[in-house]
Amino acid sequence: MTEPGILLARELRLAGTLLIVGLAVTIVTLIWKAPLSFLLFAGIGVVLTLAGVAVYLFSIVSTSAPRH
Amino acid sequence: MTLPGPEVLLYLALAIAVILIAIIVARPAVTATRGGKIFAFIALFILPILCAFGAASDHVERSKQTTFCLTCHIMELYGKSLTVDDPKYIPAAHFQNHRIPVDEACYTCHTDYALYGGVRAKLRGLRHIYIQYLGHPPAPDQIKLYTPYNNRECLHCHLGARSFESNAVHMAIMDSLKSNEMSCVTSGCHDTVHNIDSLSKVKFWSPVQ
Repeated sequence: MTEPGILLARELRLAGTLLIVGLAVTIVTLIWKAPLSFLLFAGIGVVLTLAGVAVYLFSIVSTSAPRH
Repeated sequence: MTLPGPEVLLYLALAIAVILIAIIVARPAVTATRGGKIFAFIALFILPILCAFGAASDHVERSKQTTFCLTCHIMELYGKSLTVDDPKYIPAAHFQNHRIPVDEACYTCHTDYALYGGVRAKLRGLRHIYIQYLGHPPAPDQIKLYTPYNNRECLHCHLGARSFESNAVHMAIMDSLKSNEMSCVTSGCHDTVHNIDSLSKVKFWSPVQ
């Protein structure tokens, strides 16, 4: 695998891990019916999910850009 | 055959998203092809965003429920006041006669029927959660409304209703009611609201079902 390919794979793994944890937290907050679950969803679930999406978008933009 | 509800679909979407993302985490090489890139876009962008929106919507809907508001110990007496066996208690009469949705009783009367009223209600709810867990919650009898109760919330349902408009007093003071010059609940007409101080002296109604 080329160097950009290794880098992309690493970034995809990071994005995927953040998303899985974020979505897992989201699932827990949906099952746990308490006022605190909303704070957990907004404070951790959404943040991790958006971070995962951002890392993914960054990875596809950075690897498609010409490297000097 | 009945279609699955939105909550079931949300759980399904979350499960599918987690499985697809796990495939990419385990084998990032699948994204090397054109089809793999589309797969990654769906798994790492489309599905998580949809799931986050779906979950947010579920949380917002859940926060409108009466049971949600009554989760906090501080609200216990207010919940109890909904079952007072006395029609003079306005919230109790509305709750027991289903003049408001029983499942969303608190929200129905305590949201603002104005532009962004729902958003303001949610922000107040967040503040309540903050005070409950990180602040100093007041004693139940010390809880006050942020602003005097607006007649707009009453008129949202009652205005135009036959039972309301057939009352000559209502029609005579309609302008004062609409302008909040005279309050429905503090001007001496319908002034028995939750009145949690007097709950020890009243009888309670219990539904058959």
